[in-house]
Amino acid sequence: MNRRDFLKLSTLAGLTGCSGRLPWQGPPVTVNMPGMAWGHLLRDRLPTPNPTRERSVEVAILGSGVAGLFAGWRLAQAGFTDFCILGGPEPGGNTAGSVLAGIPCPTGAHYLPLPSMESIHVREMLADFGVLRGDPHAARPVYDESVLVHAPDERLFMAGKWQEGLVPQHGLDDMAREQIRRFFAEVARLRTERGADGRRAFVIPLVQSSSDPAFTGLADETFAVWLGRNGFTAPPLCWYLDYCCRDDYGEGIEQVSAWAGLHYFASRDGHAANAEDGTVLTWPEGLQPVARHLRERIGAVRWLEGMALRVSEHRHGVEVCCFDAARDEAFTLHAKRVIVAMPLHVAAHVVANLADFGFDKTRDLPASASWLVSNFLLDGFPPEPDVRQPLAWDNVIYGSQGLGWVVATHQWIRQAKPAQTVFTAYHALANLPPAVARAWLAKASPAELLELAGRDLKAAYGSGFQRYVQRVEITVRGHAMATPAPGFLNRPGIAALRAADRKILFAHADLSGLSVFEEAAWWGEQAARHVLT
Amino acid sequence: MSSPSSTRRPDRLLILSVFIVASCGLAYELVAGALASYLLGDSVLQFSSIIGCYLFAMGVGSHLSKYIKDEDLLARFIDIELLVGLLGGVSATVLFVIFAWMAGPFRSVLYALVFALGVLVGMEIPLVMRILNARQAEFSELVSRVLTFDYLGALVVSLLFPIILAPHLGLARTAFLFGIANAGVALLTVRVFRSEIRHARSLALRSAIVLGLLLGGFALSERITQWSERGIFGDEIVHAETTPYQRLVVTQWHDDLRLYINGNLQFSSRDEHRYHEALVHPVLAALPGVKRVLVLGGGDGLAAREILRYPSVQEITLVDLDPAMTRLFSTSAPLTALNKGALKDPRVHVINADAGQWLETAGTAFDAIIIDLPDPNSYGLGKLYSEPFYRLVREHLSENGLVVIQSTSPYFAPHAYWCVVTTLEAAGFKTYPYHAYVPSFGEWGFVIGDRTGRYQPPTQYALPMRWLDATTTRDMFIFPADMQRVTVEPNRLNNQSLVRYFEEDWHRVIR
Ligand SMILES: Cc1cc2nc3c(=O)[nH]c(=O)nc-3n(C[C@H](O)[C@H](O)[C@H](O)COP(=O)(O)OP(=O)(O)OC[C@H]3O[C@@H](n4cnc5c(N)ncnc54)[C@H](O)[C@@H]3O)c2cc1C
Repeated sequence: MNRRDFLKLSTLAGLTGCSGRLPWQGPPVTVNMPGMAWGHLLRDRLPTPNPTRERSVEVAILGSGVAGLFAGWRLAQAGFTDFCILGGPEPGGNTAGSVLAGIPCPTGAHYLPLPSMESIHVREMLADFGVLRGDPHAARPVYDESVLVHAPDERLFMAGKWQEGLVPQHGLDDMAREQIRRFFAEVARLRTERGADGRRAFVIPLVQSSSDPAFTGLADETFAVWLGRNGFTAPPLCWYLDYCCRDDYGEGIEQVSAWAGLHYFASRDGHAANAEDGTVLTWPEGLQPVARHLRERIGAVRWLEGMALRVSEHRHGVEVCCFDAARDEAFTLHAKRVIVAMPLHVAAHVVANLADFGFDKTRDLPASASWLVSNFLLDGFPPEPDVRQPLAWDNVIYGSQGLGWVVATHQWIRQAKPAQTVFTAYHALANLPPAVARAWLAKASPAELLELAGRDLKAAYGSGFQRYVQRVEITVRGHAMATPAPGFLNRPGIAALRAADRKILFAHADLSGLSVFEEAAWWGEQAARHVLT
Repeated sequence: MSSPSSTRRPDRLLILSVFIVASCGLAYELVAGALASYLLGDSVLQFSSIIGCYLFAMGVGSHLSKYIKDEDLLARFIDIELLVGLLGGVSATVLFVIFAWMAGPFRSVLYALVFALGVLVGMEIPLVMRILNARQAEFSELVSRVLTFDYLGALVVSLLFPIILAPHLGLARTAFLFGIANAGVALLTVRVFRSEIRHARSLALRSAIVLGLLLGGFALSERITQWSERGIFGDEIVHAETTPYQRLVVTQWHDDLRLYINGNLQFSSRDEHRYHEALVHPVLAALPGVKRVLVLGGGDGLAAREILRYPSVQEITLVDLDPAMTRLFSTSAPLTALNKGALKDPRVHVINADAGQWLETAGTAFDAIIIDLPDPNSYGLGKLYSEPFYRLVREHLSENGLVVIQSTSPYFAPHAYWCVVTTLEAAGFKTYPYHAYVPSFGEWGFVIGDRTGRYQPPTQYALPMRWLDATTTRDMFIFPADMQRVTVEPNRLNNQSLVRYFEEDWHRVIR
């Protein structure tokens, strides 16, 4: 049997094949808006019941996103036991996930880059979970292969064809090719560049970056302006960079600062002994297993359901009024110290004396972007137009305003494709004033959200895609992440909260002003260190 | 001649036939284009050359139409309909059969067929116009009506074809369907105009025959494609089935039974004993008192047949993806004769599941694990040859247990073969690579792994063997100069090097 014969056989299916399903209307859609109702309850100061119970602890962590969980993990790891963690409206925060027809899938963050040397805190955490094997300080640690993204990892749909990787390659003119090459040479240079203070120009965690104005000055202009100034104008390159910014920051090159845009490329220099540079760590349900591990290490006895309504500092400690909406019960927490691990726009309503820290709401609160994370439960896999470019983990459409989709079953170790799968489509509502985007999201009907969520999938598979869709679960994240817009590096109020070492400590990705796992974890780490020393 | 009111019905019929004729014309073009791009690849080239050829032929047809005499118009129109229907209807099936049976003339037949269809279709519209014109319709009105329906028909088919026809009916039956429509137009025209045509009866008979042939073709096209598979396999097909996972074909020629999965030979009953003795006995004969055995893949029950020969074996768990495969090998008489009813043996538990998934949840440990999976020719299969998968296997192996893996040919695909060995080592196994000569496969490779490093190939076999003996066993573990180990990367899930090696190695062997 040779290749030609093999080809003939695959054709038979095309000649006699008959798949029974008919094109049919819209699939059932569920829309979740985590935290929205509770957040508005806080904002609008709606009445809540009187507290019925009290609890005293040494340390209370308020919020269970990456920052809060990381702080708790570090405390537990150091043998510190007298603390509790308040879950808040959404346990896990942006690392939450869902399960559709038994298939775990993300409703937020989905991958972790190989942590760089400076992100030692993340390496230690991964070592604790057994994902990183051996010495967490090694330049090239070994990672558990089942969570390194499996091949094929990324592909881009451009001019009617799929191509490997996300950087546009095919059908480019010489100018575009040259600019792409020059851009990557430039970021390779910046990766090793150091400022006058001897620090690397761009580092994760961002506070360890050089404060040399030669670099921090880049935070005062938009990435688009910087690109134009440096002769990076080719549409394929600009689209790609805009895509990267929207994917990481929720806003495009016109909105984010040049510093943030370059940080994305120049700060990531993690390596692995058993994977190429640029590989990412991912789980079928995104980063949810990481949050789950942290939560397990913290222990169920320290977990409290509910959210903080009011945090007030006293002579002897901090009093936290809490509300558990599920039970419609209020309670009071007395703590020597609290770690406020909620988004700053929430903290601004909750922490009574935030202004005392030097934080001015109107001046210091960052704008935040809105996201749509949409899980499409599919009966079978839609046919791929090109057998040489099979479905990848991450699939992106060139020129689209969407961010493509990841495949929840990609990391499964299976011989055959499973009968059902979930495609998770990401969409950041970039290039709209944030308030306008949120107003639209609050009003949009499920059908309108579905139309937006399904655009990339339709572009790739045509309307035949509909036939495969069983069910769609759309998660709307209104205040998903802070935008690292020009000026974000020097907000005095943020600097004040970072430095705060009183009875109230702060930990959240908002302290970095750009929202990635390592940054959120870093602030959790800092808060825990303050407690431990 | 007939009065204006009585001409209306026939005229309407002619306009309707324009619509059908136009749909059919476009349909054949699309079928030919789709088939050519399926079989030859490069769809842009195939489609544009076929459309070009077809349009040109239509021009030729229009030109030729002027040679038809006015008094013959209706009869010739019917003839052309029948011819188009017949040629177009069988086009996909004929092309496929030719591709399957003969290598050479496919392209020539394809373009000849497309050209002939184009010429005939090109004659249709001018003829209808002339017929209508002769029936005293207003010329400008006539042109606009005919062309409107012509383009409408094209629109309808261009939408139906990709959405409904090609995916649901398949190309062969789609072509027959439009053939039937053409013949239907012919038959209807004969009926309505019978008073105006000479030999109306014989034309009607001809139309009926063509219609019958096409209906038969539509019904039998499944059979015909099956039969044409014989052209690929050469032998008589005794069973063919498309399951959700693969296409299973069993052929027989005299006493030689063969199984093909997706066109790849899995075994020939003439020499499968070599493959299965080599796969099973070097492991089992080295495990005195072996009780629990796991087989991953091996839905043909042939490895199980060999394992069942050991009286100490109490339980065989056989995990194969495809229920159709294990059903076939536990019910078909010639096949159960071959595997000695192994899958029906009370000691054998057949589980239809994905080996990756099953291992993740299975709790027990086994004395021997026999991995007889298809070759790593896809990313999915490649995952079951990866380090994490072998670690999972290791967790299910008892302390002194042995695993053996069929691992493609060390002669034809050396990088792929040694990649399997390297990966097994990376997962913490000590490895013992070996190979055996199986005439229908050539030199074939296996690898045994253990945790202890204490494995010794058997120096004798208590059970009678058809082929294996002490000397062959010793030689199996020796790799001569042309099969020496090559240095390769282990198969990591994040780059799937094995799938690449496998592709490249075999690409060099078969062109
Ligand atoms: C759609 C999306 C995709 C992303 N993808 C990635 C990715 O792939 N890789 C990556 O590194 N990063 C990604 N990120 C960013 C990353 O997820 C975040 O940076 C990180 O999870 C932020 O963690 P956090 O703890 O700072 O905040 P959050 O996740 O915002 O957590 C805040 C916590 O505070 C709680 N809370 C809120 N109000 C109160 C209250 N009143 N009282 C008590 N608790 C309260 C909430 O319940 C929640 O648990 C993504 C973000 C989004 C939105």
